[in-house]
Amino acid sequence: MREEAITFGESGRLVGIITDPPERLEKRPGLAVILLNAGIVHRTGPARIYVKIARELAAVGCTTLRFDFSGIGDSPVRQDSVPFERSAVQETQNAMDFLRVKRGIDRFILLGGCSGAYLSLQTACCDPRVAGAILINFAITIYGADTAERKALHYYYNFALFSIQSWRNLLRGGADYLKILRALRFQFMRKISSPQQIGPEESAMLTNLRLLIDRGVRVAFVCSEGDTRLGDLRAAGGDELKQFCSTGKVGLDIIPRSDHNFSSLRDHERLLRVVHERVNQMCSATTQLDECSIADRVPTASVKLHALS
Amino acid sequence: MILHESVLPFYFGYPGKQLFGCYHRPRSAKKPVVVICQPIGHEYINSHRALRRLAARLCGAGFATLRFDYYGCGDSGGDAEEGRIPEWLDNISTAIAEAKGRSGADQVCVVGLRLGAALSLMASAKREDIASMVLWDPVVVGRNYLKELIALRKQTLRFRPIRNSQAFEADPDLLGFSLSSFLFSELENLDLIKIPLGPAKNIFLLQTGQAGGESRLQDHLAKTERSFEYRCLDAPKSWLPSEDGSLLVPVQMLNAIVSWISRVHL
Repeated sequence: MREEAITFGESGRLVGIITDPPERLEKRPGLAVILLNAGIVHRTGPARIYVKIARELAAVGCTTLRFDFSGIGDSPVRQDSVPFERSAVQETQNAMDFLRVKRGIDRFILLGGCSGAYLSLQTACCDPRVAGAILINFAITIYGADTAERKALHYYYNFALFSIQSWRNLLRGGADYLKILRALRFQFMRKISSPQQIGPEESAMLTNLRLLIDRGVRVAFVCSEGDTRLGDLRAAGGDELKQFCSTGKVGLDIIPRSDHNFSSLRDHERLLRVVHERVNQMCSATTQLDECSIADRVPTASVKLHALS
Repeated sequence: MILHESVLPFYFGYPGKQLFGCYHRPRSAKKPVVVICQPIGHEYINSHRALRRLAARLCGAGFATLRFDYYGCGDSGGDAEEGRIPEWLDNISTAIAEAKGRSGADQVCVVGLRLGAALSLMASAKREDIASMVLWDPVVVGRNYLKELIALRKQTLRFRPIRNSQAFEADPDLLGFSLSSFLFSELENLDLIKIPLGPAKNIFLLQTGQAGGESRLQDHLAKTERSFEYRCLDAPKSWLPSEDGSLLVPVQMLNAIVSWISRVHL
């Protein structure tokens, strides 16, 4: 495994690290994985998880590039007025151009956490070189839903309900009753208002998924069990996403007992296994399997792949 | 503020144990060269943005600056469980040599944050080329530092689907960063007051709010014959996780550091 610090992009100021497979696995061009910033965390990723992913994938023959978008990590802020959503897609394409020139690779899997997941999906839709996208804790805003109430509901269902201390507080008058009532009312209204109105973000996500399925691009959502974004994804995708998952057109993996930032080493192990498995599947699905062929060198994932329920 | 900087990312150090660094080169460099020693673990991730901004500001003020990652941290080689204090002290020496070589400066200013500040002080003990040192919220007593980390871990893992009931000792995992028994023991024994002070002529102790241990260090440093300055500012603690996931940049701290270094090295 070899790591190289690089600069690339239009002004040559984007900073990234290429992780190449060991020499003995070197002659396996064809497909690379590009890791996109998770929010504003620099290219090492939360708790350095991107470094681990890059090294593990390189160890099984897959070149990876993790880099910082302009204004994040070590890449300087852009001097033009291009909005971030557009510049980030352009810069991801710059990364693909760079790998084509320097490594002769022209098919890519994009992997990103949080906003990086969103940008992976956006880039996949507008660039045919993308063969797959691994979307970790995909961030989507549910139309008409109050964020505070959704978070409160998530907290009550996942934590407070199973906490003796919380029940004690409730019975002794120490709980925030108004907040609880608001959360319950939100849940009730959500149940009785059917069919739910679909907002622009949800609609765009489903349109993008249809487009990618038609193009044969493999998409896999990876969600932390303890992250509100899992519920958001289920709500946003609705029956159509359920169907995509049950027919194997889109993947959905849930990392049990994990939080948004994968704050324990056990989360890391589970996430790494899922990423291995998905990259393996995506490599197998591409026409360049024979050249890429990391499949037989990737350990089989022992993590159960979940379907939407 | 227009920053005239050129940032060069690169690997350096020994083959097989390479370190990652970012060298900020000003248009015309003043002396000395600045080396930034970062914290470790989640504190490193959270404060990366602030320290990158600090490097840009120092560069804007005319100081060539090197930020680097210790072995087993950030983009450097190795895994987190390989991190050890003696190795990191060696890394600081390697980084200082690299910074001097690239800038042509023969004197160095070391800026350290949290454990990076403690390591800076330890590394400077036997060096003659450190002209000045900024200790930003240094870890003074390792035992207290470990207590803080364990408390934060407990607080963070509270919000998970199933509570992690395992004792810390059985699972030395600090928010996704492993902590070896060797490093744990080294941190337990860390006490900056017991570290012999090096020949650095100027020391600036900068503190965010009131915390335990720093007053002892302040008294200890004030007793020496060095030029010592202390400031306590009300600013966000950039190394701690924020509720909304944003990365805080305490501008007042950065300004204080840049103006102190500029003043000391007129």
